[in-house]
Amino acid sequence: MSQLVIFFVFAAIMVFAGVMVITVRNAVHSALFLVLAFFSSAAIWLLMEAEFLAIVLVLVYVGAVMVLFLFVVMMLDVNTARLKEGFIRYLPVGLLVAVLIAFQLIMVVGGERFGLEDYPKPVPKAADYSNTEALGAVLYTEYLFAFEVAAVILLVAIVAAISLTMRRRNTVKTQKPEMQVAVRREDRIRIVSMASEPRNGREDGS
Amino acid sequence: MTDFVAITPELFLLTMACVVLIVDAFLPEAYRAVTYQLALMTLVITGGLTVALYPAEPQVVFHGAAVVDGMGSVLKAFIAGIAFFAFTYSKDYLRERNVFKGEYYVLGLFAVLGMMIMVSAHSLLTIYLGLELLSLCLYAMVAMHRDSADASEAAMKYFVLGALASGMLLYGISMIYGGTGTVDLGEIAAVVASGDIVDDTVLVFGLVFLVVGLAFKLGAVPFHMWLPDVYHGAPTAVTLFIGSAPKMAAFAMVMRVLVDGLEGLQADWQAMLVILSILSMAVGNVIAIAQTNLKRMFAYSTIAHVGFLILGVLSGTEAGYAASMFYAIVYAIMSLGGFGMIVLLSRGGFEADRLEDFKGLNERSPWFAFIMMVFLFSMAGVPPFVGFWAKWSVLREVVAADMVWLAVVAVVFSIIGAFYYLRVVKLMYFDKPEDASPITAGGDLQAAVSINGLAVLGLGLFPGALLTLCVAALAAS
Amino acid sequence: MTLPLTTIVLLPLLGFLVNGLLGPRLGTRLVTVVGCGLPVLAFLVAVGAVMQLEAGDGAALVETLFTWAPFGERSLDVALYLDRLSAVMVLVVTGVGSLIHIYSVGYMKGDEGYARYFAYLNLFLFFMLLLVLGRSLLVLFVGWEGVGLASYLLIGFWFDDPAKAAAGKKAFITNRVGDAGFLLGMFVLYAALGTLEMDAVNAAAADGLLPAATATLVGVLLFVGATGKSAQIPLHVWLPDAMAGPTPVSALIHAATMVTAGVYLVARLAGVYQLSPEASLVLAVVGVATAFFAATVALVQTDIKKVLAYSTVSQLGFMVLALGVGAHGVAVFHLVTHAFFKACLFLGAGSVIHALGGEQDLRRMGGLARRIPITFVTFAVATAAIAGLPPLAGFFSKDEILWFALAGEQGGLLLFLVGAVTAFLTSLYMFRLLWLAFLTPSRMAPEVAAHVHESPRSMTGVLVVLALLSALGGFIAVPHYLEGLLPLPAVAPGRAAWHLPLALFAVALALGGLAAARHLFGGEARPAAALAARLATLHRVLTNKYYVDELYEGFIHRPLVWVADRVLLRVVDRLLMDGLLHGVASLARGSARALVRVQNGQLQRYGWLVLVGLGAGLLWTWPHV
Repeated sequence: MSQLVIFFVFAAIMVFAGVMVITVRNAVHSALFLVLAFFSSAAIWLLMEAEFLAIVLVLVYVGAVMVLFLFVVMMLDVNTARLKEGFIRYLPVGLLVAVLIAFQLIMVVGGERFGLEDYPKPVPKAADYSNTEALGAVLYTEYLFAFEVAAVILLVAIVAAISLTMRRRNTVKTQKPEMQVAVRREDRIRIVSMASEPRNGREDGS
Repeated sequence: MTDFVAITPELFLLTMACVVLIVDAFLPEAYRAVTYQLALMTLVITGGLTVALYPAEPQVVFHGAAVVDGMGSVLKAFIAGIAFFAFTYSKDYLRERNVFKGEYYVLGLFAVLGMMIMVSAHSLLTIYLGLELLSLCLYAMVAMHRDSADASEAAMKYFVLGALASGMLLYGISMIYGGTGTVDLGEIAAVVASGDIVDDTVLVFGLVFLVVGLAFKLGAVPFHMWLPDVYHGAPTAVTLFIGSAPKMAAFAMVMRVLVDGLEGLQADWQAMLVILSILSMAVGNVIAIAQTNLKRMFAYSTIAHVGFLILGVLSGTEAGYAASMFYAIVYAIMSLGGFGMIVLLSRGGFEADRLEDFKGLNERSPWFAFIMMVFLFSMAGVPPFVGFWAKWSVLREVVAADMVWLAVVAVVFSIIGAFYYLRVVKLMYFDKPEDASPITAGGDLQAAVSINGLAVLGLGLFPGALLTLCVAALAAS
Repeated sequence: MTLPLTTIVLLPLLGFLVNGLLGPRLGTRLVTVVGCGLPVLAFLVAVGAVMQLEAGDGAALVETLFTWAPFGERSLDVALYLDRLSAVMVLVVTGVGSLIHIYSVGYMKGDEGYARYFAYLNLFLFFMLLLVLGRSLLVLFVGWEGVGLASYLLIGFWFDDPAKAAAGKKAFITNRVGDAGFLLGMFVLYAALGTLEMDAVNAAAADGLLPAATATLVGVLLFVGATGKSAQIPLHVWLPDAMAGPTPVSALIHAATMVTAGVYLVARLAGVYQLSPEASLVLAVVGVATAFFAATVALVQTDIKKVLAYSTVSQLGFMVLALGVGAHGVAVFHLVTHAFFKACLFLGAGSVIHALGGEQDLRRMGGLARRIPITFVTFAVATAAIAGLPPLAGFFSKDEILWFALAGEQGGLLLFLVGAVTAFLTSLYMFRLLWLAFLTPSRMAPEVAAHVHESPRSMTGVLVVLALLSALGGFIAVPHYLEGLLPLPAVAPGRAAWHLPLALFAVALALGGLAAARHLFGGEARPAAALAARLATLHRVLTNKYYVDELYEGFIHRPLVWVADRVLLRVVDRLLMDGLLHGVASLARGSARALVRVQNGQLQRYGWLVLVGLGAGLLWTWPHV
C-alpha cells in the first residue's frame, strides 16, 4: 500500500515536470524541470528494484548531461519565440494524430494484453541480490557483441563531434620563443652590393 | 570456426579504422594521402577476408547477436567493394573543396562497419546498434563540409528525421520484445511459428512501427522526404557514399527483420509493402521528371528503385528475395556510377549537378558520354544493361507470386521513369555543350568510373554469374 | 584442364582486340604476325581437338563456359560443342580461313586500312567459330549475327565509295529479313521443348517429343533464316552485290564459310527436318530453283566476280537440294569441296584482278594463261572441279547430290532433271569464264597488258594449296565420316542399279558443258554473239538477273516506303503515338509539379508526413486486429 502511494506521488511529480519542460518559456527552468523528472523516474525505478538504473540515471543524466545542457543553454542566447514558430500551425494535426496513436496504443498495450494475469508480478528478490552484479554478468557474456558495438558508436560520436566542431585556425598569430631566440643575423637582413644609380631618374620624376 | 574467427572481417575493419584514426591524427597535412591509401587497403583486405570466410552453412555467433551466412557474406563483400570505389571517387572532389580530411575516411570505415553489423545481425538489438553506427557516421559525413549551408541544413534534417525513424524502430522492437519475450530473430521466428500467441495484436503493431522505420531508412514513400534534400545538400562525394552501399545494408535489414524474424506475419507486411512499393514507384518516377538538378533527379530515381527493390521482397519467395538482393547490388553499382560521373565532371569549386552541365558531353568526351549513357540506360532498365536484368528478375517473381497487376503497374511506372533518363542521354548527345572544356579529372578517377561503367555493361551481358551467386547466397542463409 | 574449344574461339578474338585496338601502332609486320598467326594457331588447336574427338571415337566434346541467364530451373548456358559435324566445319573454317588470311597479306599490302582489315577478318573468324561450335541455338545465333556484322564491315570496307557502303547495307538488311524467321523458329522451338541446345533438340526429336506440325513450322522458319544467310531465293539478292568487298573477303565469307552457315544450321538440326517431309520438300524445291536460276544468270555476267558470285548461289542451291532430299551428309560434303574450289576460284580471280590492276570485266581480259601461269593452272583445276570432271573434288559431291535427288526416297525425277541441267550449265559458264579470261586472244588495254605480273608467292602458294585440295578433296569421304550423325536416306527400291550410269551421265554433262563453252567462246567466230542476238530477249532478262532487284524495288520497297511515310509516320506515329505520349508526358509533368510542392524543405512537414504514414499503417492493420 505504501508502495502504491509512493508510486503515485512520484508519477504525478514526473508527469507534471514533463509537461512543464515543454511549456515553460525560460530554457533554464525547462532544464531544471527535466532534472526533476529524472529524479522522480529514478525513484520509481528504485521501487521496481532497479537500483542500478536508478543510480546511473541520477549520476549520468542529472550529474553530467543536464549540467552540460544548462551550460549550453546559459551560454547560448536561445530565442524562445522562434522555437515555437510552426508549432501552433502543426499543433492541431499533430495533436489529432498523437491522440489517435495514443488511443490505439492504449488499446493494444493496455491491461487487456499486458495485465497481471498474463504477466504476473515478479517475486521480490532477496536483500543480498545485486542488480549491478547481474547486469555485469550478462553484459560481458551474452551481450558482449552489442556492448562492443555500442562502444564503437560512442567512439564515432566523439570523432564526429570533434571533426564537426574543431577548427584548426591557421590565421592566429602566436609567438614562438624558441625561434625568436634561435634567430640569426642572416635571417633578418640581407646585404646586397650594387652599382650606384645615376641621378637622372629622379630628375625626370620631379 | 569460433565466434571470433567468424567475425574476423569486422574485427579487422574496426582495428584498422582505429589505426587510421590515430595515424591520421599525427600525420602532417601533406601526407593526408596516406590515410586515404590505408583506408582503401583496409577495405580490400576486409572484402578479401569476407570472401575467404564464406561459410558453408549459417553460423550463429555471440549468443545470437550475429550470424555469418551466405547472404551476409556476399553483401558484405559488395559493400566493401562499393565503398572502395566511393572512396576513390571522393579523393579529388574533397581535395578541391578543402575537406580532404582523415575524418571522412575514418567515418566512412566506421559506416562500413555499421553496415556489416547490420547485414550480419541476428538480433533486433544488433540491427539497431549497427543502424545507429551507420547513421551517426552518415550524419557527420553530410555535415562535414562546414562552409556549405546546404550541407549543414541537409545534415540537420537527416539527423532529426533519422532520430524520429530510430525512435519508431525502437518502439517497434520493444513491442516485438513485449509480444515474444526475445530480441533474437531466430527465437522470434520460432515463437511466431509455434502458434503459442493467440492474439498477435502487439506483434502486428510492433510490425507497423518496424516497417515504418525500415521504410524510412530505405527511403520509401511516404517516409522518403529526407532523401532528396539530403542527397541534394550533401557534398557529392558523400551523396555517392550514402546512395550506394547503405541501400544494400537497408535491404539486408529488411530481410533480417521481416523474413528471418517475422516471416510468420508475412500476410501483414506483404500488404504494407505493396502500398509502399506502388507509392514509391509512382512518386519517385513522376517527381523526377520535374527536376533540373541531377542529384535531386537521382534522389527521386532512388525512391523509384526502392519501390522496385521492395517488389522482390514482398513476393515472399526465396527466388523473390534473391531477385531483390540482385537488385540491391546492381542498384548500388549503378547509383555509384551515376554520382561518380557528377564528381568526374565537377572541378574547382564548381558542381556539375545541373542537367545543363551534361549538355553536349559527347563532344567533350565521347568515352564518358558513353559510360554515362550506360548508367542511364541501365537505370532505365534497357537491355542489355544490367538494370534490365534486375528489373526483369524482380518482375518475374512478382508474376510468379500471382500479382500480375502489380507487375503491370511497375512496368508502367518504369516506362514513365525512362523519360527522364533518356532526356539526359539526349542532352549529352544532341545538344551543344555550354562549356566545351575537356575533362580534367585525375587518371585514377577516370579509370574507376570507366571500370564502373564497364562493370554495368559486363554484368548486363553476363548476368548469370551474379544471379546465380544471389540465389546460392540466399540458399545458404 | 585444357579447353581446346574455348581456345579455338578466343584466339581470333584476341587477334581482333590486338589489331583493332593497337593496330595502327603495331606496324605492318606485327599486324601480319598477329592477324595470320592466331588463325593458324587456331587451326592447329582445332586439329588437336579433332584428334581428341577421334580418340574418343566421336563422342562429343562439351565445354560449358558460363551460365548466361538462369530462369528458375532452366537456364541458358554458353557452351561449346564439338562432334564430327562441327569438327568438319571447324577444320574448314580455320583451315581455309588461315589460307585466306595468308593470301590477304599480299593482296592488301599497302592498303591504308591494313590493320583494320585483319581485325575485321579475325572478328569474322571469331563469330564464325562461335556459330559452328555453339551448343545452343542461342550461341549459334550470336555467331550468326556476328558474322553478319563482320560481313557488313568487310563489304563496306572501302566505305568511301557510296556504292560499296550501300552493298554492305543491302547485305545487312536482307539478312535481317531472314533473321526474323530464325528468331521466330527459335521461339517456337523453345516453347515446344524448353531447350535450345541442339543435341538435346535432336534427341527430343528422335524421341518423338516434337509434334510433326511443330517440326514443320520450326523447320520452315529456321530455313527462312537460312535463305537469308545462304542466299537462296528470294533473299539471294545481297550476295552478288557483296562482291564490292576485297576479293579475299569474298572468298572467305561469301564463298567458303559464312554463306554455308544456313546449310550447317539445317544439317545441325537434321533431327527436326527428318520429322518433317513437308519442310524438306520446301528446301529441295527452293534449292533446286536457286541452283538453276543462278546458273542461268551466271552464263551472261561479264564481271568475273559476279560470275563467281552467281556460281556460289547456284552451288548453295545444290547443297540445299541435298538437304531437301534428306542427304544431309552429302550437303556437308559438297560444302567442304565447294569451300576448297570456290575459295581457289575467288582467290584466283583476285590474283587476276591484282595482275590487271583492278580490272574485273571479262570483256577486257583474255590471253592471260601465259602471262600468269600459276594462277591459270590453279584456276583451271578449280574450274574442272566445280564443273564436275572426275576425279576432282566437285565430281564426287555433285554426283552424290544428283544421285540422291534421283534415287533417294524424297527425291524425284523433276528435281533430278533440273539439277542435271544446272550441272550442265555450271560446266558451261565456268569454262566460259576460263576461256574468256585466260585462253582467248588478249582484249586488254595496252597499258594494262604491259603491267600484267604474277602475284607474290604468298598468294600463289595459297592458290596451289587450294588447287591441290580441290583436286583431291573428293577422296575425303565426308558422308561416310558423318554417317553416325547424319544417316543417308534410303534409296528408293529398284533404283540402286542406276548409280554407275548416273555417274557416267554426270561426267557426260560436264564434258558437254566444256565442249559447248569451247564451241561458243573458244574460237574466233564468236558464235556466242550470234546466239545472244538470236535470243535477245532472254539474254536481256538474264543480264538483268531476271529483274529481281527491280521487282523488289517496285513491289516491296516503294509500297513499304509509302506505307511507312503516309500511314505509319503521319497517322500512327505523329497523330496517335505522339498524341498519346505527349498526353502522358504532360500529365506526368503536371502531377510532378503538384507533388514537388509537397517537398517544401520544412522539417515539420516531413515529420508530420511520417506521423501520418504511421497512423495510416496502424489504421490499416486495425481491422486485422
